[in-house]
Amino acid sequence: MPMGHTATAEAGSGGLTATEHRLENGLRVVLSEDHLTPVAAVCLWYDVGSRHEVKGRTGLAHLFEHLMFQGSAQVKGNGHFELVQGAGGSLNGTTSFERTNYFETMPTHQLELALWLEADRMGSLLAALDDESMENQRDVVKNERRQRYDNVPYGTAFEKLTALVYPEGHPYHHTPIGSMADLDAATLEDARAFFRTYYAPNNAVLSVVGDIDPEQTLAWIEKYFGSIASHDGKPAPRDGSLPEVIGGQVREIVEEEVPARALMAAYRLPHDGTRACDAADLALTILGGGESSRLYNRLVRRDRTAVAAGFGLLRLAGAPSLGWLDVKTSGDVEVPVIETAIDEELARFAEEGPTAEEMERAQAQLEREWLDRLGTVAGRADELCRYAVLFGDPKLALSAVQRVLEVTAEEVQEVAKARLRPDNRAVLVYEPTAPQATDDTDGAEAAAADDTEEAAQ
Amino acid sequence: MTELATMNFHPQPQAGEARPWAFPAPTRGTLDNGLTVLRCHRPGQQVVAVEVLLGAPLDAEPAGLDGVATIMARAFSEGTDKHSAEEFAAELERCGATLDSHADHPGVRLSLEVPVSRLPKALGLLADALRAPAFADSEVERLVRNRLDEIPHELANPARRAAKELSKELFPASSRMSRPRQGTEDTVAKIDSAAVRAFYDRHVRPATATAVVVGDLTGVDLDALLGDTLGGWTGSPAQPRPVPPVTGDDTGRVVIVDRPGAVQTQLLIGRVGPDRHDRVWPAQVLGTYCLGGTLTSRLDRVLREEKGYTYGVRAFGQVLRSAPDGSGASLLAISGSVDTPNTGPALQDLWTVLRTLAGEGLTDAERDVAVQNLVGVAPLKYETAAAVAGTLADQVEQHLPDDYQATLYQQLAATGTVEATAAAVSAFPVDRLVTVLVGDAAQIKAPVEALGIGEVTVVAAE
Repeated sequence: MPMGHTATAEAGSGGLTATEHRLENGLRVVLSEDHLTPVAAVCLWYDVGSRHEVKGRTGLAHLFEHLMFQGSAQVKGNGHFELVQGAGGSLNGTTSFERTNYFETMPTHQLELALWLEADRMGSLLAALDDESMENQRDVVKNERRQRYDNVPYGTAFEKLTALVYPEGHPYHHTPIGSMADLDAATLEDARAFFRTYYAPNNAVLSVVGDIDPEQTLAWIEKYFGSIASHDGKPAPRDGSLPEVIGGQVREIVEEEVPARALMAAYRLPHDGTRACDAADLALTILGGGESSRLYNRLVRRDRTAVAAGFGLLRLAGAPSLGWLDVKTSGDVEVPVIETAIDEELARFAEEGPTAEEMERAQAQLEREWLDRLGTVAGRADELCRYAVLFGDPKLALSAVQRVLEVTAEEVQEVAKARLRPDNRAVLVYEPTAPQATDDTDGAEAAAADDTEEAAQ
Repeated sequence: MTELATMNFHPQPQAGEARPWAFPAPTRGTLDNGLTVLRCHRPGQQVVAVEVLLGAPLDAEPAGLDGVATIMARAFSEGTDKHSAEEFAAELERCGATLDSHADHPGVRLSLEVPVSRLPKALGLLADALRAPAFADSEVERLVRNRLDEIPHELANPARRAAKELSKELFPASSRMSRPRQGTEDTVAKIDSAAVRAFYDRHVRPATATAVVVGDLTGVDLDALLGDTLGGWTGSPAQPRPVPPVTGDDTGRVVIVDRPGAVQTQLLIGRVGPDRHDRVWPAQVLGTYCLGGTLTSRLDRVLREEKGYTYGVRAFGQVLRSAPDGSGASLLAISGSVDTPNTGPALQDLWTVLRTLAGEGLTDAERDVAVQNLVGVAPLKYETAAAVAGTLADQVEQHLPDDYQATLYQQLAATGTVEATAAAVSAFPVDRLVTVLVGDAAQIKAPVEALGIGEVTVVAAE
């Protein structure tokens, strides 16, 4: 069999285990022991993301995430940062379409502090939240938007592609950073209502991974989180279901001051958590991952029409996932030349499927990525939360790599045939304008797929 | 108006007993071909990191060929005597490996990461690349064209554009450090396979190279493995190469790189300082962290958390190049971006923070938190093999002892508030800073001139 290559007998899980618990208030807890290094990771996923935002309030989930670092009943001002860093820990929070996460990695002997801090803001944020924090963090987030999107060339490409793939009114139509107008419009009362609606123990999963005593850790969690009241006022997220394919090519031409022409495209792909999504991941890796991929070999090595060419996958559970193609042209090459070559390569791949050697390479690459992710306590804590929140079972994180290795070449071909078609893509073409435009400006490097996450720092 | 919470509150918990942790000590050895090898066993780290340092510094590039070290570094993964460029990339990926390479002032560096089960195969490929790179005409020509295509993208990036301008301002034109590490359009266009081959022949040999191998090496016979792979690489004996002294002109002044319409101004404020051989380094690390190491440091406390002018401003020291005799230089800098209308007020506040630091000094509480963070995060920071390998390789590259990092933690813990203040103040003197601003000159020039932080000149972006 050409598939199922493993780097270790354990195939990435490395013999890791995890246990699950639930407090009476509904907080789900996942614990995983590993005593190799004296560190422990705390990760808290709230089941709320930008898909829960309503019209006119895009960016609120992310702005709110910033407010979670502005103090709570027993923690003054920037105390969350000061106390964790002063204890030799690191921390941050990020917001995506489907969730908001907060995490601390601590030296083992400071684990209890991180749990106390997370509980304090889960239970008492509104005791500290005020106008001053709101106005200040609104300005910080607007500067984050300028720095990461508006002041860099191609910086808003991902936002534009998302809007093309998920129609107006769809919960994934806008990205987590939100619009400047909506960031300006958000009020303190919006933030309070957001907290009351979504920040409840029964809407969260807490994982603790590393050099821990599970019994002691669980006792601390019960002590600090146990008295926080649960509540059930959370509205169901808006329906994210869509036809599997777009049904016709969507296209937008952007004329901006960028350094080179670019062709970007986004495809609707199977939902995260399905075997077909893993097959799509392999297909995109074979076509556009690394420097031995079909598109890299064709466009960068042979035709020499592109500076860079690659595919990325944004896995989504509540809507079709998104496959993102990004090609920057070389010299004066015109976009149709690139587009024709891509169409040829995708059609040939759908027709022939992957070779055994391509499957081996792609599976080896994805396996290493999993080893990297599970190789740190923080990475493992995040994956355990992800599978608990999105798929109901944290242990699926430990067997995820095995599932990727089980996918067959036929399944990869099947998903390519069904999804990587011209009638299932949104195309974004960049045509450079001369400098001197005063509306929009420059920077470089395309925003990558991980730019869907916004961080507090 | 805030509201009361109903949960049961508990006092802030106290820390438990710290478990001992020490920065890993590597084992040092030399292969028969003269290659220095550092190895370090890290249990549980299934992805092994291998760093190879080549004694091929940027100042060794022939005149007019800036970028040849970069093209050579990239060409290592474009084919060998056994594999074509496409085959080599495919074989590496078949191992689940990544191989990155880049050229910088101290030398060329290759970084391999691979699951330990496939280490033998990947080390074999790495050895082939170093021992018998193909440097085929067509592949080098492609890399040159690709590099030329990248340059406009870099110039359009505000942070990179600022770095390019600061190097040009700080260092004399005769110094390699004044020019872009990866060359300019003029110099890169002149590079061909013969130039790459000549640079390789003169500057790449095992006797002036070091390999660092870190990861879970349980059951790996590393001596045999190295003998079969990197041990087969041959070359002439080492020839000591003088390191040119570094001088910088830090006369206080401002250069605006004009970007009409920019919604933010990219700041890069810097000067040249000592390298890590200098006794001031631990105190400077501490003082610089207190000034701008994180969101709760002095700069962000005002510019971000009070004023909201920025997503974040950081102060840092970055070693540029060191020499065996302890001479060397680092870039001391403050960087970040602020919205265009607040550029003047943000710089005013930044200078006020520096003046206040010089006038009043750091507090003991600030110093304590900084030490606890810098020392305390070590076990987190060095969890992965790649992080350990990177730091060990930096030490070798900078001619520091293998226990430098371990010692640094002890020195940080022993550094007092007064020393940290003095180091930060002498690292960032208000009248000896070169300020580069990439932004809309029409909007920011007048407010910046009014600050009196030095003469202001405006240059075009391209």
